[in-house]
Amino acid sequence: MSTPVLEISDLHMRIDEKQILKGLTLTIKGGEIHAVMGPNGTGKTSLAQCLMGHPRYQITGGSVRLDGQDMLAMKPDERARHGLFLAMQYPSEISGVTTANFLRAAINARREDGSSISLKEFRDRLDEVMRYLDMDPKFANRYLNEGFSGGEKKRNEILQMLMLKPRIAILDEIDSGLDIDAIKVVSKGVNSLKGADFGALIITHYQRILDYVRPDFVHIMVDGTIVKSGGPELALELDKKGYEWVRTELAQSTNQA
Amino acid sequence: MSEMILDQTSQAELNSLVEERFGHEPEWSLKRRREAVHALLNLDWPRLERTPLKKRKLDQIALFQAVPAPGVRPTPAPDGWAEIWLDNNQVVSVSVPDTLSQKGVRLEALNEALGDPEVEAQLGRLLGQDEDKVAALNGALWQGGVFLRVPAHLREVVQVSIRCHATAEAQAVFSKNLIICGSESHVVVTQRLETDDGGMKTMLSENTEIIVEDGGRVDFGAIQQCAPTVEGFIHRSGALGHDAVLNWNIGEFGSGLVVSDHVSHLNEPGASTASTTVFFGAGSQHQDYSAKSYHHAPHTTSNMVARGVMKNKARSVFTGLTQIEAGAKGSDGRQKEQTLMLSGDARADAIPSLIIDERDVFAAHAASAGPIDRAAVFYLTSRGLSEAEAERMIVHGFLAPVIDSIALPELRDEVWDAVERKIRA
Ligand SMILES: Nc1ncnc2c1ncn2[C@@H]1O[C@H](COP(=O)(O)OP(=O)(O)OP(=O)(O)O)[C@@H](O)[C@H]1O
Ligand SMILES: [Mg+2]
Repeated sequence: MSTPVLEISDLHMRIDEKQILKGLTLTIKGGEIHAVMGPNGTGKTSLAQCLMGHPRYQITGGSVRLDGQDMLAMKPDERARHGLFLAMQYPSEISGVTTANFLRAAINARREDGSSISLKEFRDRLDEVMRYLDMDPKFANRYLNEGFSGGEKKRNEILQMLMLKPRIAILDEIDSGLDIDAIKVVSKGVNSLKGADFGALIITHYQRILDYVRPDFVHIMVDGTIVKSGGPELALELDKKGYEWVRTELAQSTNQA
Repeated sequence: MSEMILDQTSQAELNSLVEERFGHEPEWSLKRRREAVHALLNLDWPRLERTPLKKRKLDQIALFQAVPAPGVRPTPAPDGWAEIWLDNNQVVSVSVPDTLSQKGVRLEALNEALGDPEVEAQLGRLLGQDEDKVAALNGALWQGGVFLRVPAHLREVVQVSIRCHATAEAQAVFSKNLIICGSESHVVVTQRLETDDGGMKTMLSENTEIIVEDGGRVDFGAIQQCAPTVEGFIHRSGALGHDAVLNWNIGEFGSGLVVSDHVSHLNEPGASTASTTVFFGAGSQHQDYSAKSYHHAPHTTSNMVARGVMKNKARSVFTGLTQIEAGAKGSDGRQKEQTLMLSGDARADAIPSLIIDERDVFAAHAASAGPIDRAAVFYLTSRGLSEAEAERMIVHGFLAPVIDSIALPELRDEVWDAVERKIRA
């Protein structure tokens, strides 16, 4: 499988009358881990959801391409079939649909030749991944996210990611509300996919997860655009100094200009 | 005669029609028909708060049409089952296993059973013929139906299948069914109502009365998949003795209009009823359902559950009533209604009500009607499922707890098939 390239360029997007993204540019390639950090309400989740194709957002400019293909022209399911994955900040609860049935349907939907995975092969893989993620096998037969704790939902997102093997994964606050053991498990899951045919964008507020999933690039997002990019050290600096530091720096640089 | 239109028809004309068609029936039955004719001309169409019938031009339907000849050829029932087929409201086949008929189980055309004093005494006690014009039409002109009598103290569970089909030519189908389950016996009845597509407007009026004697149990399941040309009025009512049980499993999928209800009269202590209704409307279907549990005696229980899905421009109303009368101490009445709307043009109302005239009881109701969760659809599509597939999954998940509670596997599968067809429609 070829190395994926997700190119977001000069993306503008709004909800109703409110402009959320104001010219955001970012390229994620296979083999790379990117982290995006930024204050509450700055548009991180909106970015993630609109990359995945949530109909609520209106794109007002720019482009999103995966391997050169126009993602914005595709529906969410087509984007998924092209290898995009979004672990959601707040995954929905789906009553009456078991995690196993759903995952099997999702795997079958992605098979290009229309053949479906055999029950045995599916079960074996599911068992294996669940064991790897320290998940109780009972979760497979529970209704998708219904009554799951915050941490269980996040683990379930990672389970889905490992089962679906995306090429580019966007993880929106996959670490929020997790205890340290759970963070380790989730990180182990992400790291297991690492390689030239996998790239990830990790949206987070905390340095903690980045101790386990080493980012190659860290971006700071404020008010709908990326204002500063750097290596892993940027996250550490941000952790120490807080967003005020970025804001002051920003103000200074615009004054100088 | 066949050109008769309701509002231009005189009582004399109707009486001679009744005489001509039903003159051979016992006097008590004919007398009731004549009474219904008399009532018919003075009664109005049913008045339903959320289902206006005026625009549907019911009196333009060929209500006095004689039923056309039957069309289907029956296939044999599963082993051990008793089965009766009605086509265009005429019995075309009855089979009762010897083991059951030897013990006195009777399954036959109601028209043939009118000489039985029990039929004379029981028929029409739960569903009258002077409520409205449809009831009177049914009373005056009913053409066929089923009489099922299960004697008391049968050891084995009696399985009965009732298949009612009408061809596209039928425009007036009026039927009556009477089911009597003897003390401490247990009967499972599955009724299938179907009509062929492609005909003119049809009025279907189906009345079913169920009597469950002391300690008896009736599990009544029905699945309705009539053509969109059908204007259906389906009434079902049951009366329960001491410790009797009546379980309803109702699946409503077809008809352009359906006004359907099922009522349980918990007449004696210890009686209990559970009812499950699953409905699915598409296109421009209009569905008006109600379920009623009347607690007339102490220590009676009722549990009513309904789940429905509406898509396109379909419209539904589900009215639940749990009434606990003074003196019905220690009773327990519950109801829960939930509907899911798949489009902005669909509409579903759930109207639960409790009327409680006794203090020492437990009663509860819950109702909700809402659009499908778009965030959930997005979530599923983000994993690669198409929007249609995502909606299908959510609908499945929504209905599963109710459909999977249907005890009879055949009926359960058929309900799932019907749901599947509606989703893809
Ligand atoms: N559906 C919506 N309707 C209206 N406003 C919205 C909607 N979704 C997001 N917004 C607004 O867009 C802005 C960005 O929200 P978003 O959730 O993307 O921020 P975030 O960076 O993910 O924040 P957090 O760190 O708190 O998760 C906020 O002002 C938010 O209120
Ligand atoms: Mg967010």
